Amino acid sequence: MPRFRQHTGLYLMFIPVIVYFLIFLYFPLLRAFTISLQEFRMIGDRPFVGLDQYKAVLADPFFWQALKNTLMIGAGQLAFGFVASLLAALSLGEVLNPLFRKINQMILYLPHLFSWVIVGGIWIVLLSPDGGMINELLKLAGLGQPVHFLAEERYARWIMIGTSVWKEMGYTCIIYLAAMTLINPSLYEAARIDGAGRLKQLLYVTLPQLVPTMKTVFVLQLLGVLRMFDQLVVMRNPAIYREVDVLMTYVYENGIQQFQMDLASAASFLIIAATLLLTFIFSRVSKYDLS
Amino acid sequence: MQSYKIAAPAASKRGKGLNRRPRLWSGAADTRLHPALRAVNGLLLILLSLTMILPIWNSLIISLSGSLASMQPGLRFLPADFSLEGYQRVWSRMALWRPFMNNVIVTFAGTLLHVLLCSMAGYTLMIRFFPFKRLLVGFLFVTMTVPSEAILIPLYIVNKELGLLNTLSALVLSGIVSGFSILLMASFFRSVPYEMQESARIDGAGDLRILFRIYMPLAASGIATVTLFEFVSRWNQFTPALLYISDSSKYTLQIALRSLIILSDSTSGSDVTTPNVRMAGVMIAILPLLAIYPFVQRYFVQGLTAGAMKE
Amino acid sequence: MSSIRRSTGFTLLVAAAITLSACGNNAAGNGNTATASGSPSQGNAPAQTAAATEKPAKQTLRILSGVAGGKTPEENEQFEQEIERLTGIEIEIEKPAADYSKKLMAALAGGEKYDLVYMGKTEMDQLVDQGVLTRLNDLIEASPVLSDPAVIEPGEWEQVKYGDGDIYSIFNKKEGGTLPIVRQDWMDKLELDQPTTLDEFYTVLKAFKEQDPDGNGQADTYGLSTSGLYDIQGFMSAAGVKYRYVIDSEGKRSIPYATEAAVPVYEWFAKLYKEGILDPNFATNDTAKMRELFLSDRVGMVTYWDAWVGLFNNMRQTEDPDTAFVAKGITGAAAPDGSYMLRRGDPSVWGIPVNAEHPDAAIAFMEFWHSEPGNILSTLGIEGVDWTKGSDGSYALTETGGEHGMDHGAPFPSNTKFVNPIGTLPGAMEAREMIFSNNSAVELSTADWPNAEKIVQSYAFKAMMGELPAAEAVKSMNAELKSAGLID
Repeated sequence: MPRFRQHTGLYLMFIPVIVYFLIFLYFPLLRAFTISLQEFRMIGDRPFVGLDQYKAVLADPFFWQALKNTLMIGAGQLAFGFVASLLAALSLGEVLNPLFRKINQMILYLPHLFSWVIVGGIWIVLLSPDGGMINELLKLAGLGQPVHFLAEERYARWIMIGTSVWKEMGYTCIIYLAAMTLINPSLYEAARIDGAGRLKQLLYVTLPQLVPTMKTVFVLQLLGVLRMFDQLVVMRNPAIYREVDVLMTYVYENGIQQFQMDLASAASFLIIAATLLLTFIFSRVSKYDLS
Repeated sequence: MQSYKIAAPAASKRGKGLNRRPRLWSGAADTRLHPALRAVNGLLLILLSLTMILPIWNSLIISLSGSLASMQPGLRFLPADFSLEGYQRVWSRMALWRPFMNNVIVTFAGTLLHVLLCSMAGYTLMIRFFPFKRLLVGFLFVTMTVPSEAILIPLYIVNKELGLLNTLSALVLSGIVSGFSILLMASFFRSVPYEMQESARIDGAGDLRILFRIYMPLAASGIATVTLFEFVSRWNQFTPALLYISDSSKYTLQIALRSLIILSDSTSGSDVTTPNVRMAGVMIAILPLLAIYPFVQRYFVQGLTAGAMKE
Repeated sequence: MSSIRRSTGFTLLVAAAITLSACGNNAAGNGNTATASGSPSQGNAPAQTAAATEKPAKQTLRILSGVAGGKTPEENEQFEQEIERLTGIEIEIEKPAADYSKKLMAALAGGEKYDLVYMGKTEMDQLVDQGVLTRLNDLIEASPVLSDPAVIEPGEWEQVKYGDGDIYSIFNKKEGGTLPIVRQDWMDKLELDQPTTLDEFYTVLKAFKEQDPDGNGQADTYGLSTSGLYDIQGFMSAAGVKYRYVIDSEGKRSIPYATEAAVPVYEWFAKLYKEGILDPNFATNDTAKMRELFLSDRVGMVTYWDAWVGLFNNMRQTEDPDTAFVAKGITGAAAPDGSYMLRRGDPSVWGIPVNAEHPDAAIAFMEFWHSEPGNILSTLGIEGVDWTKGSDGSYALTETGGEHGMDHGAPFPSNTKFVNPIGTLPGAMEAREMIFSNNSAVELSTADWPNAEKIVQSYAFKAMMGELPAAEAVKSMNAELKSAGLID
């Protein structure tokens, strides 16, 4: 018991979190689980039907297609987003003029402030075959016929990856910038005494010191990756549905829009399970102790 | 691979390195990249920034165009037919003052509490070992996997039973803590030499004191980051307000603006909002976020040094 | 030992949490009562409900609305007051700013008691299926207004009947339909005749593309724009095929767009696309984009709602009183037998949930909605805010009313006796007439349709963009629909 008492302060500080999540998350989640076992009606009795909804979801080829799309787009977004935001942070770190750095930093963050409705709309215009900027650039480079980027299946997922990386890069970059200010300066001092130049300092001080932050960022993004939604709703079109329909659009279209909350709940629990599985695999592979 | 480890605690606490600004940011002669590399770096950043500025520039231009001109397809870099009509329409069509104030209340109260509670919890998780830590972490991880659609109805019922419907408290409470922020805070706190916590404890300081006196100042940039993220997402918060608020005097800015710029897509309705009005709404909603950024940004270049000096 | 300690600790934690949450519940319970007494309609506990019904004077009709009501929160309050003034019914209208179906589901399943909810066809199908709506046949028959064939035409009810003629909803307005809308001024300028066959349409659209109809000296116009397959019915009309499902007398499901009959029309589109006559962005356009192209002289023809003929004309005239712009509805391409097949919009309706507390007041409100003062409110808007009445009894729109485009929930009421005192916008009535006189029917969709639609659209796009020969695309479309069990 003394060990426990020694940590009383710690537990107390965590209690608000526990209380909040018990009331506003775990309790609703429990009820959602009940719903997933019932035949849903908005008003009136809901007879239990066991695992029928889970079976229905698992037997639905559209669900598996959505899962496949989500994983492919998600993997791309995670990998490229990870590299891009890190590079942006390191690159900003090398800028000497404080004003230039501040302005750049702010601009990089701007797309995050806009909803996907705005940003997606702009990309649709940029990628348009009819005078869209990307096609104009291709034309300047002498690349013949304009490409209808958003209507061709082979580009669809790459576009979703690219635009999302572009939009969220500045956001993640801020985490790295903040973490960089927390690196112990004496490490750079020591490196300099050893005669390390700027690049070497980057490689041997900054990067290794950022590794824990990188892992945290990666896990945080991994936890959200199966829930991507807004971007796809705005940027997809019927020509590429099969490539970019994701799990949450599946839940939304089959569950929410058609008032089939039983199905939506069952699919959601499968998403939760899949996310936990992914996180577990990551922690094993990267030897990242989650706690 | 060679890597520099943190020196002894005494050195890191009172080492002479701390008396100067961190080299990474200071631009001292021996830390500069080769000028050519720097030029390339700067150029790339400018190019990137040029693309990043598109959304806001395009929105601004459309909002400043006349209603017919704002319908022209494609991107424009200057207003085709300059007019403030969009803003006038938004302004005349609704009293935005009240929704704006509601947004301010919800955002400030929510962000403040969020940062406070999450840094407390983040501090707890930063501590290397204590009983049930794994349990707490697991508890937190599960919360981060749940799609909001899954608990749509039960959460509505909870809010209803707690009497939170139609109150701004419901919006403040929604997401008052989040696994994301807690893990982020914990990660920032871990950058602070662990020994500081241990020695303070030996000196008899309590956890709250250690958090407020040592960790929060030392990890100021981390606090600033979480504050910024939370402020932005609260300012833009939409779904909870849509679900829990039905009394128009409690509408938030996002709801008020959305009801103005509703798109009558694939319905037979005949309400029309032209793009200039829509974008004027977007610009109005985003300005406060632009205004707050410079205040937060200061902390990204201070952090450790500033905190250490206070100590 | 340590495991015991741990479990004790955990139990303590849980106990603390439960106690805390219980406190929260209690405190909130008090708050709840306060809220409930603040607005009597929101009584949650049965006891309060009973108390509320004992005092009939305190009835408040609670409505969840998607379209009816004010355009802004402030106007919504004025709208409520106007209804109270006109009917004596105390009313509370909730009008979610977006995500209507999400709000509807969360609120109804969360135990909210509405007396009237607004729905589209898909939502109605689901709510009827889940037993959420009250059967209204008797109430409608008992109502002199709602059963009056001059108010709601008897044939209209067929659209909302289920099973053996059960009716669970009352119309919000009389739905129009979609049809090709053309720039008549461009046609006149280029001396083109109104097209009726696909070939003639091709000629007209090609001229729009190539002969600089807007006279700006630039080849920046398209003949036709759509928002995906929304809406190509006016052209599919040439092949006599209808969108979505057709179910024959034996219950066999087919999708005419996925049959060979549709091939020539896809081929026609492929030709337009190849020659740059069809807006290449048709795949990514939303309807707003499409409308904006039409309004900004970039395209000569779109397919959209009949009412929008009037709105298009009105918007251009408001911007520029001297404009030559004239939009006009046309009936689309005729089938070889000379008939047309246009699309009628799905009904939008009001229903009374089974847990409604004031179903009688709800019916009374519906009667008002379909009577003359209700029609005025649902079109022009609120007296003194949106419109004023002169001493000679004539109506005039205020500036606000003008901005609202004579739509406050039902721009074209069901009531056949109603005549808009301001007059409808130029071209709109004419276009509506085309919809109703050409046997335009509602499209039939089932719960499977969203899945089927994706397959149909995917191959239709491929055919229209020339990625696949039309015949092959239709064959693959059909095969995939069949293997997914989406057609029989």
